[in-house]
Amino acid sequence: MTPYEQGMAVLRAAQGPLPVRSRGIIALLEENCTVCMLCARECPDWCIEIDSHKETLPPRTERGRPRVLHVLDRFAIDFALCMWCGICVEVCPFDALFWSPEFEHATTDAGALVHEREQLREWLATVPVPPALDPAAEPPPERVAADKRTRERRTPG
Amino acid sequence: MSRPSDPVDRTRWDEEVRAVRDAGATFFDLLTAVDLEADGFEVVLHLWDPTARQGHLLRTRCPRDDAQVPSLVEVFAGAGWHERAVAELFGITFAGHDTQALLLAESFQGHPLRKDFVLASRVAKQWPGAKDPGESDADLTTKRRRPQPPGTPTGWGRP
Repeated sequence: MTPYEQGMAVLRAAQGPLPVRSRGIIALLEENCTVCMLCARECPDWCIEIDSHKETLPPRTERGRPRVLHVLDRFAIDFALCMWCGICVEVCPFDALFWSPEFEHATTDAGALVHEREQLREWLATVPVPPALDPAAEPPPERVAADKRTRERRTPG
Repeated sequence: MSRPSDPVDRTRWDEEVRAVRDAGATFFDLLTAVDLEADGFEVVLHLWDPTARQGHLLRTRCPRDDAQVPSLVEVFAGAGWHERAVAELFGITFAGHDTQALLLAESFQGHPLRKDFVLASRVAKQWPGAKDPGESDADLTTKRRRPQPPGTPTGWGRP
């Protein structure tokens, strides 16, 4: 353990867990990314770089049509430009970006602040579970839809 | 909270600020400017009255081709720093104050907070959003109409 790590351990023990909504760094769940480019286009700092290519899937049925899929080649966030506004996290329609409370990513090399997809995925492990909904809140739409399907299956007709 | 008051005529700017200060708003908080484009510039001042717990947001305007307002250094000595920054970033002259350069490099040309100032990084850097889904940098060479970065005037950036 370096003296820095020792110091940070003391600090963390003293402050307790960070608030769930802390804006430490942005994590990427690649599986959810459809390469829609919304985050890169909304980013006021132009700090998200996305490269992708098209792949054609053969038709699944005999009369079906081939489908075109966008495959992610590169997803990088330049944290030297990022201003922690969180617009990319909010604008993502597929929940591919998350705030992680981890804040220890300082470096002496500005180039190292460009976090590529591998590193963005590592931050994903540090994303906390979102807080539970308010007891009086409406149920999440996913659950409403799932319950509806279950009821329909039980009452055939 | 401070409600913005009507703009003060710039010839009475320092008198007006002095009157508000003498009435209790002794804490100088902030002086900055807003580029109103065709309507010139607006110099904005925020003062705080610590006893009444009341803010005062004062404004004055000057035309674009005669960007000059009276200085407040005689009223608040600390306003000097703010006036130097505004003079440098907006190109507004403060009469009665030698506003020497404060923030920018000596060789810097122009006033970067004016709205007609083109940000070099917005021209030099390729907008990452110009690529469509399924494209990479190599595809950007194809000639077709591409989405434009929001908030940047047309004609900025690469053709």
